[in-house]
Amino acid sequence: MRISRPIAATAIASAAALSLVLTGCTTGPSSEGEDITLTITTFGTMGIDANYEAYEAANPGVTIEATNLESGGAARDDAYAKIAAGTGLSDVVAIEEGWLSTIREVSDAFVDLRDYGIEESDWLGWKYAQGTDADGRVFGAGLDIGPQGLCFRGDLLQAAGLPGDRAGFAEALGGENATWESFFEFGQKYTAASGKPFFHNPSFMWNSFVNQQDEGYYKKDGETLNIEGNEAMKAQLDLIVQNANIGAGLEAWNVGEQAKADEFAVYVCPSWMLGVVSGYYDAGTTGSGWDFADVLPGGAANWGGAFLGVSESSENKEAAAKFALWLAAPEQQAASFEAAGPFPSRTAGQELVAGTTSAFFNDAPIGEIFANRAQGVVAQVKGPEDSNIQDNVFGPVLNSISQGEITSGDAAWEAALTNLKNLGIE
Amino acid sequence: MGTTMSRLATERPGSTLTFRQKLSNLDFKASPYLYISPFFILFGLLGLFPIIYTVNVSLYEWDLLKGQGDFIGIENYVTTLTDPLFWNAFFNTISIFLLSAVPQLIFATIIAALLDQAIRASTFWRMSVLLPYIAAPVAVAVIFSQVFNQFGGPITGVLETLGLDPIRWGYDVLPSHIAIASMVNWRWTGYNALILLAAMQAVPRDIYESAALDGAGRIRRFWSITIPMIRPTMIFVIITSTVGGLQIFTEPKLFDGQSNGGPNRQFQTIVLYLYEMAFPRRDFGRAAATAWILFLIIVLIGLINYALSRAIASQDVRRTVRAPRDAALDLKGARR
Repeated sequence: MRISRPIAATAIASAAALSLVLTGCTTGPSSEGEDITLTITTFGTMGIDANYEAYEAANPGVTIEATNLESGGAARDDAYAKIAAGTGLSDVVAIEEGWLSTIREVSDAFVDLRDYGIEESDWLGWKYAQGTDADGRVFGAGLDIGPQGLCFRGDLLQAAGLPGDRAGFAEALGGENATWESFFEFGQKYTAASGKPFFHNPSFMWNSFVNQQDEGYYKKDGETLNIEGNEAMKAQLDLIVQNANIGAGLEAWNVGEQAKADEFAVYVCPSWMLGVVSGYYDAGTTGSGWDFADVLPGGAANWGGAFLGVSESSENKEAAAKFALWLAAPEQQAASFEAAGPFPSRTAGQELVAGTTSAFFNDAPIGEIFANRAQGVVAQVKGPEDSNIQDNVFGPVLNSISQGEITSGDAAWEAALTNLKNLGIE
Repeated sequence: MGTTMSRLATERPGSTLTFRQKLSNLDFKASPYLYISPFFILFGLLGLFPIIYTVNVSLYEWDLLKGQGDFIGIENYVTTLTDPLFWNAFFNTISIFLLSAVPQLIFATIIAALLDQAIRASTFWRMSVLLPYIAAPVAVAVIFSQVFNQFGGPITGVLETLGLDPIRWGYDVLPSHIAIASMVNWRWTGYNALILLAAMQAVPRDIYESAALDGAGRIRRFWSITIPMIRPTMIFVIITSTVGGLQIFTEPKLFDGQSNGGPNRQFQTIVLYLYEMAFPRRDFGRAAATAWILFLIIVLIGLINYALSRAIASQDVRRTVRAPRDAALDLKGARR
């Protein structure tokens, strides 16, 4: 994503300058007097890579060795295997919200960041609470949150005779009162007029819907399943089946080629998705037709977001915690947002990006939009099998709907319950 | 009493030996064991111990992250064998195995027979068929995933120009199995061809000559002499490709990196099922039970293959000369 506002440069520069000042207080290039290497494992497009160099420059003697895994799933398998082995975790580990609840159960693999000066008041309350375990230990420092808006192709909508500007598109869906019904109604009009599919795959809409509910796959106690007999979920699945005709039948991820070939016109975009969409195109692309609207059918919801943990097995816990907390500082959160879209989980960070626009998304005021989209977000209680349910209970059903193999809401719901039973989740 | 007596009896002549002689005696008796010990020590540490420990894990409720739980006996085996997803993985594995092993052996035998002819630059041709084996499986999987890409892959391009619908390689069961089997075949056909070629080269040429004098054509000679004579090697190749084919993991895992064997488990093999149990689902007990079930399946299918391949070739062998077993034994040593 190309940044059009001067604040981008200022934020990064001031971040670097600030750390220079902070470390400059100590005598000499390195107060510990020895060279250390800090390892960090991240996943997907988190936009923090550019911060490493600034940290190295500000902290002579520190070398950052970074590993970026292709997806949150790969990072999950990697972290699980290494926690199980009791060795091998990077000094700093990025944890995704989807499997955070599993990590919480073995949170003693990570240090208590309260010992290294993390302050609750700096973070959004719910984000801080997510990174805290039952004993009150803070094992993860919140990095980004995932408020959601809609990425859309203004040019394609316009060509189909529909409102293609940000405000007009949001208004056509119902603005603040947009529902999934009105969203699909709009999509039907688009497909009827253009002959092209409206969305790429129903899984994003399903996940957003689940995140919008008061209780997701689990009840509020985080232990009791909330799926069987859940009429709202059944109705949503039915709605998706009825509108499968305007889906492109594509895979959920890696659809860059199809996006470029105009094979769909809308994408449900949590903040971290912006970098993924713009990543489909060459760096610096503008005028691709993509835009970003301040609207989400069904109301505000958070999807995903990452945390940084410092592993207990690290040989340089002190330095690693300092590095992790630096990456989670407002300035760096702002820089990551500028680079790839993950929205800051600290109010100070959100203020820094309030005026940010994105050249890729038709100069959309993304800072302002995400601040709006984050209003009213309530963190949903996730249970231990949450990501398993998403991937293995509803994922296959949504694929079958997408491929035209399930054509009735009842059949879809039955298939989901069968999957749940086969997986033995109770 | 008796043992003390005999020990005394054996020690007595020994006591007349010098220290050097004793040392030399010890060297003679113990050294061979010492020389072969590295393999057995490593096998014990990295092979036997994990195998036995896996039995232990499979009898407990065992969370990947939280560790050992309650002893539950064979419950993990029962749950696995009654899990429809396990049987889905079982049939996928058998399907991919058949789609890879059968064409692989047929083509390997044909290629070996061609290379066995007097051709120019034979070393060049022999090296060439081994080339795919050198490529890393991960690289092969990545490239083939591009080739078998429903959206914009070269095969889709060809189908489109012919006016045909694209094949859903990543979604439909049979096409995905064919795609994965072709990666396996690409990698292993040449390798097996070379092993079979070595066996063919060991067949005495005078047998072919006398058969030719008796009026047997090329094809008749191939069926009545070559095939029966390379039977032991054939059995070896079949057994090793059975073991490999049933443990297939890399190719289906990388064919769709986002899932564990397809969006709806269309090509989830038993080892992928095991992986899903162990890591994403964190049930180490059931993963261990799956590993043992897979072991038993491989032994069973290996035995069936052995019996079948014996039956196929044995009648011919009786009609012709005994196969030169030594050649095949040499090969087994070479493979290690």
